[in-house]
Amino acid sequence: MKQVEDSEILEKFANTKTRNEAFNLLLNKYQQKIYWHIRRMVIDHDDADDLVQDVFVKVWKNLESFRSDAQLYTWIYRIATNECITFLNKKKQRNNTPLDEVSDELSETLVASSYFNGDKIQLKLQQALLTLPEKQRLIFNMKYFDELKYEEISEITGTSVGALKASFHIAVKKIETFMLNEDITF
Amino acid sequence: MKQDFENDEWMKGLRETGFTTPAHYFDELSQSINARISAEKFKTVIQNDGHTVPDNYFEKLQANILAKTTAETDQIAKPKVVRLWNSSLLKYATAACFLLVTGLGLYFNQQNPVQQTAYTDLATDQMLYDIDEQVIIDHISSADITQPKSTAADTDLENYILTNYSQNELATSL
Repeated sequence: MKQVEDSEILEKFANTKTRNEAFNLLLNKYQQKIYWHIRRMVIDHDDADDLVQDVFVKVWKNLESFRSDAQLYTWIYRIATNECITFLNKKKQRNNTPLDEVSDELSETLVASSYFNGDKIQLKLQQALLTLPEKQRLIFNMKYFDELKYEEISEITGTSVGALKASFHIAVKKIETFMLNEDITF
Repeated sequence: MKQDFENDEWMKGLRETGFTTPAHYFDELSQSINARISAEKFKTVIQNDGHTVPDNYFEKLQANILAKTTAETDQIAKPKVVRLWNSSLLKYATAACFLLVTGLGLYFNQQNPVQQTAYTDLATDQMLYDIDEQVIIDHISSADITQPKSTAADTDLENYILTNYSQNELATSL
């Protein structure tokens, strides 16, 4: 199926008569990408479900004021990323737990989840990712799973391309080390 | 010899292309290449993250999001039913009407007895006017309009009381 262009979505959204149709097109195009982006950060399906709905409600409310000098999908990704970071920070504050304990908690959620059917290596990769600081994990996910360009990730996170490359490199090295310690080699 | 030197300079100039790179580019390049190679190696083994979703999840998700966004706007577009008594203006208007009606009622109630009296006087005058003057004269002259006079004098009564009743009896009865 031919993907509708962002410009067409924005044009239709600007017209009140075709606004609902435009939002439907936007959901068809981006809801799965955004869901997976959030899910990889918060791990739990129910949390991701709540957050993805919040993100698109915000998109609906603010799309009218969206300035087309930025790209639509990087704008939506930015909203989703901010929602994830806010959620994880609240989780830390609520439980009054340090970062490594939050990672342990997320790792336990992953193992106990009924919506994770990965094999041993997939599980280990996810556990390795959970040992990373949030920002490195975010950058790794966007580069590795979402296959975004550094320029796009830079627009989403507000970090320079050079810093992103360095973060990705460090993340990969940490994952390699984690895997080696678990006797998993590639 | 001199010609060779001039040729070297000329060659050097040709080799310089004018292109430049960002600072520390070549230091970071090897790191980036290594990271890419490692990531590619991961990808050959791990294509996806292993997360799953419930059946038909994305259809339900879209319906949920639409219910919170476009459906709400549709509701706003529909004519809104507003309860009559929710408007404070109407409340005050009703209260004012109530007070006005009550005030008018009281005012007319006060006016009515006066009118009634006036009406009764008019009716009496009309009745007298209708009766023949001679009949009225005869009626007045035949009627005993003098007050009945007591046959006993006041001193007789006083004496009677003083002789028949004791001081105590008088004190208790008075």
